[in-house]
Amino acid sequence: MSFEISKEDKQATYVILPAYNEATRIQPVIEEIAQMGYNMIIVNDGSSDNTLEVIKQSKRKYPDQIHIFSLIINRGVGVATQTGFDAVFMFNPKYVVSMDSDGQHSAKDLDDVITPLVKGEAQAVIGVRPLKDMPFTRNFANAVMNLLTRIFYKVNVSDSQTGFRAITADALKKIDINARGYLISSEFIREVNDNNIPFAEVPIQTIYTPETQAKGTNVVEAFKILLQMIKHQF
Amino acid sequence: MLLYSILFPIISILAILWFFYRYLKQKQSLATVILWTVLWLFVILFSIFPLASERFARLFGITRGLDFIIIVVFLVLFYIIFRLYNRIDILQDEINKIVKEVAINNEITLDDEEDE
Repeated sequence: MSFEISKEDKQATYVILPAYNEATRIQPVIEEIAQMGYNMIIVNDGSSDNTLEVIKQSKRKYPDQIHIFSLIINRGVGVATQTGFDAVFMFNPKYVVSMDSDGQHSAKDLDDVITPLVKGEAQAVIGVRPLKDMPFTRNFANAVMNLLTRIFYKVNVSDSQTGFRAITADALKKIDINARGYLISSEFIREVNDNNIPFAEVPIQTIYTPETQAKGTNVVEAFKILLQMIKHQF
Repeated sequence: MLLYSILFPIISILAILWFFYRYLKQKQSLATVILWTVLWLFVILFSIFPLASERFARLFGITRGLDFIIIVVFLVLFYIIFRLYNRIDILQDEINKIVKEVAINNEITLDDEEDE
């Protein structure tokens, strides 16, 4: 994409990184984002390894760009992201992005993901993963989740389970996220749709490693999300 | 007289007293106390007069009194599980709120380490 994000827009963008036991993977992610000039809200989700220490090491290198919040106990990716969404307003942001901290998402996609927000073409963006790169089980679970999101939340998107999303601060104030776990992906899309927030889909890269494949929406998670979606109907 | 026809009424009376005690201590709502009292009164009734269960069973088209009791017990257990599930759900939300608040009010700075 030829559009270039200005330094001011990058400084007004906060990337939320929920992190649970990511000590071995998070550092390159943080540092790449910092080098690109974006700010970060990193939420340590009660990790039992030394994730928090690793994040602090990165903060020593980029003290002004990194803000750390830590949940005292593990509450799930949904709660960690909600914490980031709430905390970000302390820093007067213009754009808010949330992405995975395990290296599954490429920081290089950040510019592309916020471009529709900066250009004013959309107020929310979801990063869509290429289906061909997805392992079969993940692909199947994702197809099922897309269908369920369509049935229960009445929104048709290409990738309902993406963890890479961006939203303007004004739009973020309108949405209400309560999901604890991976339901947050579908809930974000539902809230954006219900509040008539114009949204766009942007293709993103996904880097699958055995470690990143162990996390995310698998069949068991998909079943849990289904139960929560049914519960939300009442 | 069979052992259960003595034992079950005693347990039931103790249970009813316990529920009233909790109500007086404002740990239980009146509706819950009434619901459980009715249930325990039925336990007393069926323990002393087992044939009474058959009359109730026939009201619902069930032939055996014991079947009726088992079905009622299952329904009560399902109701309790549902209530517990709801309660846990509310507690989870409350824990999340507290954990989030604590995190947001305590941004981690490098100064914290230097102070230590």
